[in-house]
Amino acid sequence: MKLRTLLLISAVPVFLLASGGCRKPAAPAKADALRNAYDVEVDSNDATHMIPLGYQQAQGKRIFYADCVWCHADATPAGPSNRSNLTPVPPLLNDGTVLNGVSDDYMKNVITLGGSAMGKSAMMPPWGRTLSPEDVKAVIAYVRAVAQPPYQAPPLAGSPYTREGTAGSPSK
Amino acid sequence: MAPEEMGKVSYRMRLLFAVCSLLFVATLAVSPVKDLLREWKHYKRGYLDLARSRPDTKRLLADFHPDLDQIWIPEMNVVDRCTSCHLGITQATLADPNVPQPYRAHPPIPHRVKEWGCTPCHRGQGAATEVAEAHETTLAWEQPILPGRYLEGACGSCHRDARPETPKLNRGRQLLESHNCAGCHHLQDIQRAAMPGPDLTNVGTKVSRAWIYKWLKEPRTVLDDTGSVKVNGYEMEESPRMPQFRLSEKELTNLSAYLSSLRNHPVAPYKFSPAVLAQWSKRPDVVDQGELRFRQMFCSTCHSFAVTRAGETKMIGGEIGPELTKVASKVNPDWLVAWLLNPQAYLPHSKMPRYEWSEADLYQVTRYIQAKLTDSDLLSTVPQLGAPAKDEIAEGKKTFLEKGCSSCHAIEGMPPQKDFGPDLSALGSKNVSQLEFGKSTIPRNLVSYIQSKITDPSSVNQAARMPQYNFNAADLDAITTALLAMTGPPPTSALQKLAVPRPNPQFRPAGEFAQVYERYKCADCHKFNGFGGDLAPELTYEGSRAQRQWIVSFLKSPQTLRPTLIFRMPQFNMTDREAAVLADYLSMVMQSPEVRPGSLNVKDLTPAQAAMGKQLYEVKYQCQSCHTIGSAGGYVGPNLNNAGNWLKPEWVAAWLANPQALVPGTIEPQRSMTPEEIKAITAYLMTLRQGGGKVGQKKAAVQGMSRGGNGVAGQ
Repeated sequence: MKLRTLLLISAVPVFLLASGGCRKPAAPAKADALRNAYDVEVDSNDATHMIPLGYQQAQGKRIFYADCVWCHADATPAGPSNRSNLTPVPPLLNDGTVLNGVSDDYMKNVITLGGSAMGKSAMMPPWGRTLSPEDVKAVIAYVRAVAQPPYQAPPLAGSPYTREGTAGSPSK
Repeated sequence: MAPEEMGKVSYRMRLLFAVCSLLFVATLAVSPVKDLLREWKHYKRGYLDLARSRPDTKRLLADFHPDLDQIWIPEMNVVDRCTSCHLGITQATLADPNVPQPYRAHPPIPHRVKEWGCTPCHRGQGAATEVAEAHETTLAWEQPILPGRYLEGACGSCHRDARPETPKLNRGRQLLESHNCAGCHHLQDIQRAAMPGPDLTNVGTKVSRAWIYKWLKEPRTVLDDTGSVKVNGYEMEESPRMPQFRLSEKELTNLSAYLSSLRNHPVAPYKFSPAVLAQWSKRPDVVDQGELRFRQMFCSTCHSFAVTRAGETKMIGGEIGPELTKVASKVNPDWLVAWLLNPQAYLPHSKMPRYEWSEADLYQVTRYIQAKLTDSDLLSTVPQLGAPAKDEIAEGKKTFLEKGCSSCHAIEGMPPQKDFGPDLSALGSKNVSQLEFGKSTIPRNLVSYIQSKITDPSSVNQAARMPQYNFNAADLDAITTALLAMTGPPPTSALQKLAVPRPNPQFRPAGEFAQVYERYKCADCHKFNGFGGDLAPELTYEGSRAQRQWIVSFLKSPQTLRPTLIFRMPQFNMTDREAAVLADYLSMVMQSPEVRPGSLNVKDLTPAQAAMGKQLYEVKYQCQSCHTIGSAGGYVGPNLNNAGNWLKPEWVAAWLANPQALVPGTIEPQRSMTPEEIKAITAYLMTLRQGGGKVGQKKAAVQGMSRGGNGVAGQ
């Protein structure tokens, strides 16, 4: 009887000391995702929904509204869009049904080299001498962020998430 | 104790000894176990697991070691252990949003983490090794992480100039400037304007006592549920500059008495010539004519007012001048005419140009304003005030000083109050313990403190003298960002050297040009050598771009070149002499070093080149996607129908070679055209001429070229 009491008494400080070390990492307060977002963009399908943007995507947004919006959107900061004037009609930059299907590399080439270099309409001018490679990457990141339906990045080559026979595995 | 029992230890004692030893060992083990379970080690192990699950394990673990990581930059006061947990911030392959935090890669930014550390931009506690202490304000640590939304504020601590990458910060600084925050507060890099608000020396001749009462009592601005700014019931982008003061009935009566008694220089009623009165006063269309003239003068470039189109009433117009929807119920009719004739006679710092009026125009426009821009109910809620009494005036003058009105409004004989409010030049680096929250229940951090102070100052300090501002959510965030950027002088000399100063462009012309430039307030809308407004094209290189004859005809009768532009140049009724003075100065002085005058002569361009240029324009480069020639083409760039009379050939050639070298940030992308192609397209564009046939024919040295050009332009 006494032994058990002794053991119990001795277990208390051990537990107390040990539990101090076992403290779970304090989770930081769950902050509002939009408050922590560098910038936001309105969802084109739902004006009350905001899409959070990171730094790079926000730079893409800035470049988009300076250079691309004139032909790749239906409304511009200055009023009417030039889009309806053009044949073939340029895709809207948030149109996922068109742009989700093309790779980042292809998009980069169309932007830097222009439409005619990629066998598309020459109305798309080359931006490679005006925008830096980082600017072009930023625009692509922005396009991916605002795409509707949302864009799914292709899986990383060789990662456990890669399905067999998809991009990355050498085809024979 | 019996001798045979000596040395023998009882069972109980042994047990006790065993338990104590166990306890001792366990106690000794506590420290290593605790160390093993440290928060950051937990994240280190998590990173190892993550790296091993990915194909590029070797590269992800190249720099990995199990201890605390630290970036130490003594000259910048940086001791950042953030990378102990944020292990993947430099690994490009971890940029994927599916990678869990804290391991995700940092988005690409212009600064390298190794050279700058983390806290110069994100703030927070660099030396802390626990999540809560590093990111939030605790009892021992003061500086919380800056929420991502206000991150541009950190950029502004060093970048005092306006960078294109920080639109929110730039907007905030612009708002601080336009709302005259520097009238009362000392701000970093924003100087107090010479005259922040209108001079009130003669305000009694302009408005009635009832109007002053109403203006001070009821904010013209209200915020609706969605946070949009409404002025006079109509939605507007910018909130008016005058904030709302919390004034008692007594203070309102006294202030309105004092201000309405300020009428030292009475306005004499303007006498219209009998001929104009006889011709116009009885005409039923005088108001419509006035409205037409009002539109032609593009008053809406600077002033906003409500218009009803297709059953929907909304606010249109600019933000340089005050909103005018109900102005006729505000100002005295004699004052209005005197103001239109010469705004600077009443307000020397006014931005309003002094139009050249014809007697009939002045009469029509005044009649239009009085008939249409009015609201008979505007002052119906104001009590009967009567003539100002002596004691009311004296009390009102006291209130005027107590409330800090003279920080923004000058009155002859009254010294201006400077630094009436607290110094805010180091607000961004204030710790939470330095802020006074009073009884408010807002979160204890700098961001919510700043925002409550702006939207409802009395919530944090009952006795606050600060008036209330109504900003929409985006502008409030922008102002907060700009205030967070004001962190006072940099803490170390190394950072001091890194700070990029705010440029202070000035343009001080002289001579006859300066008189015309001042009269028509060109710099309200146009930039000259970096100085001036953003509303209209920069004119720094106008002399290299436009032909002198074109400038003259444009000034006499402005037409828009860009179909998408909302704002347009007012028609000032300039005299020939004034237009010539402006055109001469622009042509001679405002030249680009990138364009050599006379380096390309229209005479040297052949019709064959022009024909080839047309092909290049239409087929190879498809310029029509942005530019209009004839009736076909895009809306993005200027209309080129009259390029041959408008542009100088050497400018066109330089522009085609590199547009950004001439106008930084212009939309037109740089192409890789050969010199022959450039010459050909220039030749083609110089054939495009419209109207003003005399100028065209005289200059069209290449006769054969006119066929191709006129064919298009004539459509």
